[in-house]
Parts: sequence; structure tokens; C-alpha cells
Amino acid sequence: MAATTVRRGVGLGLRHLAYAVIAFIFVLPLWWAIVSSLRPNGEVFADIFPFTAKALLPSPLTLEAYSGIFERGFGMIIGNTMLVALITMVAGLIVNGAAGFAFAMFQFRGKAIILTLIIISFMLPFEAIALPLYTVTQQLGWLDNIAALIVPSVANGLAVFLFYQFFSQVPKDYAEAARLDGVSWLNILLRIYVPLSIPTCISAALLLFIFQWEAFLWPLLAMPSQQFKVIQVGMAAFQQQYQTIWNQLFAVSVITALIPIALLLPLQRYYVQGLAGAGIKG
Amino acid sequence: MTQSRTPVLLIILLLVPALIGLVVFRLYPIALAVNDSFFNVLRGNSVFVGFDNYVALLTDSAFWNSLKITLWFNLLINPIQIALALGLALLYVQNFKGVGVYRVLFLIPIGVSLPTAVIIWRIMLSQDGLVNGVIGIAGVPAQPWLTAESLALYSIIAIATWKGISYWMIFIIGGLQNISPEIYDAARIDGVKAWQRLIFITIPLLRPTLLFVLVADVSINFLLFAPIFMLTQGGPADSTNVLMYEAYKSGFVFGDMGRAMAIIVVVVAILLVIVGLQFRLLSGRREAR
Amino acid sequence: MKTMKIAIVAGLVASMLAGTAMAQDKTLNMIVIEGGDTTAMQAVADAYTAAHPGVAIKLQPYPFAQFFQVAELRLRSKDAGIDLVYVDAPLVASYASRGFLSPVDAGISTADLVTSALDAGKYDGTQYALPINNSAQVMFYNKALFAAAGITPPDGLTAGSTASQAQVDELASAKRWTWEQVADAAQELTVKEGGRTTTYGFTVEQFGELYQLQPFGESLGTDVIGPDGYTAKGYLDSEAWTKAATYWANLYNEWGVSPKSLGYGEAAQLFGNGKLAMLAGGTWNLPGLTASGVDFGVAPYPYFEGGKVLTPTGSWYVGVNAASANQAEAFDFASYLTTSAEGTKVWFDSLQQLPTYKPLLDQISTGADFDAFPQDVFRLGVYDSLNTAKARPVTAAYGQLQDAFRTAFVDIANGVPVADALASAVQKFEAAAARVAP
Repeated sequence: MAATTVRRGVGLGLRHLAYAVIAFIFVLPLWWAIVSSLRPNGEVFADIFPFTAKALLPSPLTLEAYSGIFERGFGMIIGNTMLVALITMVAGLIVNGAAGFAFAMFQFRGKAIILTLIIISFMLPFEAIALPLYTVTQQLGWLDNIAALIVPSVANGLAVFLFYQFFSQVPKDYAEAARLDGVSWLNILLRIYVPLSIPTCISAALLLFIFQWEAFLWPLLAMPSQQFKVIQVGMAAFQQQYQTIWNQLFAVSVITALIPIALLLPLQRYYVQGLAGAGIKG
Repeated sequence: MTQSRTPVLLIILLLVPALIGLVVFRLYPIALAVNDSFFNVLRGNSVFVGFDNYVALLTDSAFWNSLKITLWFNLLINPIQIALALGLALLYVQNFKGVGVYRVLFLIPIGVSLPTAVIIWRIMLSQDGLVNGVIGIAGVPAQPWLTAESLALYSIIAIATWKGISYWMIFIIGGLQNISPEIYDAARIDGVKAWQRLIFITIPLLRPTLLFVLVADVSINFLLFAPIFMLTQGGPADSTNVLMYEAYKSGFVFGDMGRAMAIIVVVVAILLVIVGLQFRLLSGRREAR
Repeated sequence: MKTMKIAIVAGLVASMLAGTAMAQDKTLNMIVIEGGDTTAMQAVADAYTAAHPGVAIKLQPYPFAQFFQVAELRLRSKDAGIDLVYVDAPLVASYASRGFLSPVDAGISTADLVTSALDAGKYDGTQYALPINNSAQVMFYNKALFAAAGITPPDGLTAGSTASQAQVDELASAKRWTWEQVADAAQELTVKEGGRTTTYGFTVEQFGELYQLQPFGESLGTDVIGPDGYTAKGYLDSEAWTKAATYWANLYNEWGVSPKSLGYGEAAQLFGNGKLAMLAGGTWNLPGLTASGVDFGVAPYPYFEGGKVLTPTGSWYVGVNAASANQAEAFDFASYLTTSAEGTKVWFDSLQQLPTYKPLLDQISTGADFDAFPQDVFRLGVYDSLNTAKARPVTAAYGQLQDAFRTAFVDIANGVPVADALASAVQKFEAAAARVAP
């Protein structure tokens, strides 16, 4: 009995070691960004070129980068980005989820062609369509209007495809049985399919959110007067023509890296329940 | 049997919002952009040149060299990213004391934007940077990660993989959720080993999710050029000059949109063939429950 | 139904944002680089609108790294939402050749502008853009590191001293270091510990960039490309450029005195941290380096022994978008910004960049404000801009040239043989340039 306890202890220790090594690789760059954000700008590279172990400690320590970014109005900029990302996310879940459901549940003429077009819609680099999209937005009169940031990104080919893949997996018997009982399609969608699709919705939400969280070239073009700034645009200002404000750049990086994680963590219980069996061990 | 009563109105209602958005803000701009590949700008005037820009690519050595690099890059990065994302997802869903901390840490790269990730990794991978400092402790000589022809492409693959796998992991975890735990319980009672469960249960039942991740990841990696733009600008000695970067230079730096769009159309054509193959291989629909 | 909701939300937000309508008769929109340039431009715009109440000037600032891309996209779309364009010197030809800029109004007098700067705003003999300011490159050196290595630093301007224009002219014409001297000193100044370099002898600020390195080969007698603007064979692969590129290769490999692949701003950081003995860079580094507390001097930009003294030059221009509906008003502001005593003064006071307006250069030469360090460094800029400045080549294929050049010089620093890199650059430039040559 003692032997099994020891073996278990060793097993758990090895497991922790393996996880820790992987986590270290993930964390190291962010750790260095945190350290750099806590230094004065002139000291950011002090122990990096050439590298010494001191580079991993914030000395001298100062919070000036953090106070600096809020003086620059980064509170507002982060708020702007959250607004854009969350509206896009909610609207995108509804719009793309509905389309994915329709593609998966029904047969209709031209379906294969439309699906192919949806796949092509995410195969061109944004840089290639930026100019025509700018012209379209201009004609709609949306330049400098927050609608220009949100509306073009709501319909998302990848998200439609994701929902389509998921809904195709759900056995059709559910819907058919419910139809025989006289349940309306809308109720079938809302009562049966939406609850089943929570993990997929989280994935799609992440996709839509991160798309806006990282958006850069488009906000730059669509908001020419630069009154309404989003994070990536605000961050670009740190890399100026003749100098870079490194510590503030890293301070914003740290904050913007943590926000999506903070939003994702409370949802964890929806997507890691009852999954232990899928693994390699246990 | 429901086919006879296909609810046409419902289908239209469900599809129209997404289709309008995609047509107006994606497909119509795409059509305009593709149209550019049939024109050249001379003295401020667009001149229709038919397929000249495509024909010119046939004898364009920079194009062929970039094509080779693009294919090699994708042949490596896509399997690596998907295998690692799957592995990470399996680690993520394990339950043991203290796993919660790791779960948080595994998510970190999701929020770090690609430009930021690139800035940080460039400094870490520089000649006197942190990575060389760490391997120096083990007595390994400093490596020119981003400045040697033999290493640069692989360094870029590593950076993009660091940035990407947590993101794809989330999608795979979502897919794992769709597999019923009873299947595993039954298999375990039958004495099926862990690796057999992975090969014969998890991966086959994960096919729809894997198809999505594969198609999305391949598309994104074929279009990827930001790290190359920021780190190596196609060098050293053109070793990282992927097609998208070549197109970007033509369109935005050289003012030669005709050639840029011709290259992009070729990239999309290749992508469509690859994605078509992936559908063939992976979309044999299975009932998961 | 769902889109309706979105439309309502979007509409609400839009109406909230629309509260800033213009009361003036004319609004001029100008795209400009975010940061100090925007602050300075705002100061000039405020001064201008105070005197011209019927006009409002709205600046649209873009981050430096994306400015060119955004400007390219918007100008190409014939966007009438831009009246005035901030133009980097070498892009004038590219923009002009594609019809993005209107020819400068003949009524604007340009007699008071430095000729070389004015010429760089021309394409095919027509003036398309007016110079806002100039740039000058110097060599910063760390006095303590020279003392520690026991070698004599170059003659230069240093803290605590004053220098008249005549003294600066003497320094620039007779005591300028050669690149050979820089190499010798750099090898003694470089400190290596356990296989790692802890102090570097020398580096240029802009790694591999044509702006910074054009004088290397050209001071040895051969231009980087031919006068037609589309030929590099016999120029970039000439004997002069091979010699210059070999020197460059040695800095990184044979001598190992320069750090590889520094990004923008990192060289100045290294110098400010006392890890770099000599930095060839722009005068714009002065405020940052003064603030860093490092004890440094400023020497003239070096040249090759036996070669001609040439120095980098050229900076930002202003042009009028051909698609603008306000041509006359836009040119009036452009003229105020570049050719008026008030406009140029406000710009200089705010940004402290070397002027192209001659009366202002005279003030720098004679004004007591410029006697002491570091302001006397501007006098070095005055000398160079009038005597040694060599503008970048005028070609619609400048982007192609800059890219091929940078690729070659970065590759050379990374160990690619000089002859291969230059031959490849010639081939790439000519292939890409032929596609846009008229």
C-alpha cells in the first residue's frame, strides 16, 4: 500500500514536471513582457543585450509605464475595443450560428456552391480586400462610424463553417422526433440544438472576439479621424519614427493578453466537464 | 422525411443575415480585388492586360522560389500545430490536483496579439538575447535563430506555433466535449489501452472538429506573412520569402497591384485544392452519439 | 430581425459620434505621422487657422509603421477625404508617376528653399511636393568608452563647449573621420567576454537601409542606380559598391564590431545604455541621448579615404492629393507650412528638425541660441545640407530599390558573400522596376 502511494506520488510529481515545462514555454515571453513593463523605458534592454539572469527581474521597479498608458487614455481604448468585440461576438454568434444550422439541417438547391463561397470568403488575406472594402464602407457613409468596425465583421465564414461542422454531427433523429410531436423549428433550434452547442458557441465566440481584439489595419482605415481608437491602433503609437516607448508597449501587451483569458476562465466549466476519459491516461 | 416539408421561409431567415454580410463585405470586395489582377497601372491609368500578369508569373523566378518556400512551410507548420494542439487539449482536460494553474497558463498566448508576440520573440531570439543566454548556460554556442538561412524559417514556424496552438486547442476541447464519456467508460472496461483509445476512439470521433481546425489553420498559415514582414523581410537569402509576402511587397511597397493580385489568386487556387482534398479525406460523416 | 437590432445599435452609436460637425466654410484634411510630427503640424495648423478664420485643418494621424500602407491605400482609392499628404522624400516620384499628387501651384515662390531639398520634390522636371524639413546624420561617440580603451576620439562637438558656424565648418571640412578610422577604433573599443560581446564598437542606426548607407558606395564614386532610375547593373554591383559592401560585411563578420539586425530605435537604446561606443545616426536622437545621461560627443558623418564626402539627407514633404476638391486652399496651407517665415518657425520650434527654409538656416548659423551644445549640432547639419548632402535617387521604383538594397545588405551582414548579394539585388530590382517603368 505504501508502495502504491509512493508510486502515485512520483507519478503526480512527474506529471507536474511535464506540465510545468510546457507552461514555462508559454509563460516565458509574457513574463519578460511583464518585467519590462515594470522598468523605466531606458532600462528595458539593460540586461538583455547581452543577456543576464537579471533580465528576468524587474529592477529598477517602477509603475510609470502603467500610469503612462492610462494618461494616454488607454482605459478608454480598452473599453472601445471591448465594446466592438463584444457586440461583434454576440451578433456573430446569432448570425453565423443560424446560417450553420440551416446548412446542416436542410437540403436546398445551390447549397454546395454557397458553402464553397463561404469557404473562399476566409481564404483571401485582409490586405487584399482592404481597398475595395474601404470603398464599400465609404459608399455606405460609415467611415468614422463604429458601425464600420462592427458590421463587416459580424458575418464570418469561419464561424459559419464551425457551426455547420458541429450541427452536422448532431443526429437528425432529435429534430425529426420533435417535428412529429409538432414542435416548431424555432423551438427545436432554441430548446434542443442551442443547449447542445454551448462548447461550440464558446469556440465561435473566441474566434469572433479575438478577430476584433487583434484587428488593426481595418480600424486604422475605417476610422480616419482616429477619434475612436482600438487597442492595436493605440499600441502602434508606441513605435514611433525615431524611438519606441518599450515599457508602455509591454504594459499594454500584458493587460490585453490577460483580458481574453479572464473572460474565458469562468466558461471553463462548460467545456472541460466529463472529459477526463478522452485523455491519454486515467 | 422532413424534406417534403422543407421550411423555405425559415431557411431564408436563417441564412440571409450571414449571406448578406459575406456578400457585401467579403465576396464583392474579393471579386473587385481579383479583377485587379487583369490590370496594370501605367502613368496613373489602369490598363486592361488580360492574363498577362499570370503569364508573367510563369517565368518569374522569385515567384517559383516563393512557391517552393510556401509549400514547404505549410507542409511543416500545419501538421505540427494540429498535433501539438491536440496533445495540449488532451493535457488540458486531465483532472488532477493543481491542474487549474496549468490550465490558466496554457491559455496565455491567446491574448498576446501576433505583432506583440513577434516583438517579444525577436528580442528573445536575437544574437545576445534570452534564448541564447539560456542555452549558453548548458554550454551550447549562441545560434543565429533569425539570421541564418538554415534556421530562420524554422524559427518563424516555432513562433507562429507558440502563438497558435492554445487557440486551436480551445476548438479541439470543444470537439472533445461532443464525444460521449460512456464510450470511454465502455472501452476502459474492455481493457482498451490509453493510446488505443486515442487512435481508435478520440481521433475518429473528433473528425468534424479536426476538419474545421485543419481547414482554418491551413488557410491562416497560407496567408501568414506578418511575422516574416516584421522579422526577416523574406531573408536571409530569400529563405523565408513566402508567396503572401511577395504579394504584399508587390502590392503595397512596389505599387504593382496587378502582380500582387495574380499571386494571391494562385495562392487561393492552391488552397482550394488542398481544402477540397481535406474534405474528401475527413468528412465521411459519422454519428457521434 | 437580428440585423435590425444590430442596425439600431450601430445607428445609436453613430448618432452619438456625429456630434462634431464643422462650422467653418472649408475643412482641409491632412494625413500625417502620429507623434511629434502631429504635434508640430497641429501647432502650424493652429497658427494658420488663427490668420485664416474661414479654414479648418483636421489632422488624421497614423502610426509610423503603417503610415505608408494606409496612405497608399487611401490615395489609390482616389479618396477625396484627404486634401494634404505628408510624403517621404523618395516616394514623391512613385506618387507623382501614378497621378496621386497635383503639380505644385506655380504661384508659390520657392526661392528661399534649399535647392537639393527642392529637387528631391520633383518628378520629370515638375515640382510635386514641397520640403517641410531636412534631415542630417552625424556620428555620436561615447567619451567614457574611448577613455577606457585609451584611444583618442574623433574631433567633435561636446557638452560644455560652444562652436561658431566657422568653427563647425572647419570641423566638418578638415577633421572628418574616415570609415577606415572608424573601423580601427571600433575594433579596439569592442569588448568580448566569454564569446559574447558586452560592448560594441560601432553601428549605424538604420540597419541596412538605403537612406543611411547610400553615401557608403556613392562616396567612392558610383551612384546606386543609373540616371534613368531603372538600371542597377554597373552601379550597385560596381567596384565602388563592392568595396563599400565588403566594409559593411567586415563590420559584422570579420571584425565583429557591430550588432546584427537591430530594430528601429534599438541602436540608440544600446548607445544610451553605454554598450555602444559609436553610433552613426540622425540628429533626432539628441533629446533622447541627452536624457539618457550618457556622456557623448557629436562628430561629422564619416567618409571613405580617398572618396568624396557625401552625407544622407532628405526628409518629409507636403503634397496635395489630386483627388482633393480644395486644391487652392490646400496649396495655400502647404505654402504657409514650407515657404513662410512664420510657418517654418512654428514647425522648427516644435519638432527641432533641420530646416530647408534658408532664412531659418541663417538664424541657426548666426543666432546665439545655437552656440552651445547640443544646439550647435544643428550647425553641422547646416554645413552638410549645403555642402555634402546627397539626395536619394528619383525613381518611380524607389520602393523596389529600397527593398532590394535592404535585403542585400542585411544578407551581407548575415554572411552571404558580397558578390552574390549584390548580383541578386541587381536582378531583383531590375525585374521589379521594369514592371512600373514608363
